[in-house]
Amino acid sequence: MTILAEGNLQIAVPAEAKPRKFDDFTHGLTHCMKTVDFIIELNNRYLFIEFKDPQHPDSRQRDRDKFISRFLAGNIDEDFKYKYRDSFLYEWASGKIDKPIYYFVLVALDTLTEAELITRTDALKRVIPVDGPPSGRWKKRIVAGCAFFNINSWNRVLSDYPVSRIPT
Amino acid sequence: MSLTRVQCERFTAFEKITVDFSPGLNVFIGANGTGKTHLMKIAYAACDISKTKLDFAEKLCRVFLPSGMALGRLVKRQKASSRGTIEVHRAEGKLRVSFTNHTAKADLATVVGAADWCSRPIESVYIPVKEMLSNAPGFRSLYSQREVHFEEIYADILDRAYRPSLRGPTDSERWKLLTTLQKAMDGKVLIKEEEFFLKNKQGNLEFTLLAEGIRKLGLLWILIQNGTLMKGSILFWDEPETNLNPKMYGELMEILLRLQRSGVQVFLATHDYVILKELDLRKNLSDKITYHSLFRDDNGQIKWQPADRYLDIHPNVIAQAFADLYDREVKRTMGWSAE
Repeated sequence: MTILAEGNLQIAVPAEAKPRKFDDFTHGLTHCMKTVDFIIELNNRYLFIEFKDPQHPDSRQRDRDKFISRFLAGNIDEDFKYKYRDSFLYEWASGKIDKPIYYFVLVALDTLTEAELITRTDALKRVIPVDGPPSGRWKKRIVAGCAFFNINSWNRVLSDYPVSRIPT
Repeated sequence: MSLTRVQCERFTAFEKITVDFSPGLNVFIGANGTGKTHLMKIAYAACDISKTKLDFAEKLCRVFLPSGMALGRLVKRQKASSRGTIEVHRAEGKLRVSFTNHTAKADLATVVGAADWCSRPIESVYIPVKEMLSNAPGFRSLYSQREVHFEEIYADILDRAYRPSLRGPTDSERWKLLTTLQKAMDGKVLIKEEEFFLKNKQGNLEFTLLAEGIRKLGLLWILIQNGTLMKGSILFWDEPETNLNPKMYGELMEILLRLQRSGVQVFLATHDYVILKELDLRKNLSDKITYHSLFRDDNGQIKWQPADRYLDIHPNVIAQAFADLYDREVKRTMGWSAE
């Protein structure tokens, strides 16, 4: 099992998976390309993973509230969109797009309800865009699927990749 | 003057239940058949007779409309003979009625505390799920002269709507509420010869030509404008979301919160997540909101669980429905169903 950390959060990845931190110094283009936090390679797919931690113990209530209202209003969707697309482009240029990619965004906020998660997931699908143009011109999908999670729903659905706070 | 509690034993779907109310805003949630509307009807009947002086048991019959107006049919059904009781409480006292499943007529029920209860009348309004204003012309006279099979809440809401306007200038809070509603429905309500119209730049539009959601806003406008909904009054609203576009929920909940701040006790029954979330996002620290979750326990009995905050509602059938949708959505996204 490998443990990857991002700020105050950590994810445990099973031994058979190949995880890597994507936004570290080895990327080399972070000055012009946005990045997801992790990429996990499985035998039949890639998982692009982004963590947002508005409930970080050191965060200020004011910043937390601001994030919540921006997130629920869809004002951060663009950020999540470009993180994915730039990461996809980087991996494509590296010749590594050889399996379907799933994009998962964890927003570590206890108060996020499933109703809000499903609404934001639908919005993210539209902006990436998951299904391509209505004409059906795209021969390949740029993402197989995407979804927002809070820590509870992540650990419920992705129980093989449990997320937790780093003990202080 | 607000209601503080309703207690029922062996009445309709309830075996035994006690529900304590907030003096501010009360929101009932629960699956179908858990008694949300029944609790509101009981409380409304008690408020209404405090003004009309009608017998409480008789009003319950008119509001619940049991077959043949046999009051005993409102006792929770079971094999043996049994007695049902209801108590409605406020700070100044309580009203009690009891009757058996053999009680054929309302006047055979035992009512206790009515004289004291009626000495302090409570203004109240019950807005039913079905919109009535567009069917109003002629309905009241038909209802009063003939045996028409309608729960009395439908006739009562029209009585309130037909009340003339209050005398004197409109106070600033009422004026603000009326202005907000006028903006939302793009006009004011006008009553001509028992017919309701929306008056705006286009002229006078018959209520039958308006969307049902707009008619509901119009009803609320009338009740505020004619002074029915004022400090000390009680509003019961069954599923305000019906026929209303979710974009309008926010303003509607804002109005209900403001009515509550001005001293109106409000009761809502809802199945809608957006209604709950709008209240949660718009409430102030000083607002007194209680969410009443009604649910059936393992023995099938209806139970009550109150919460002061949205996230503390448990069980929350509305959130559960979204959680189920979300889980299925994520599973589909991950292609799990295909694997």
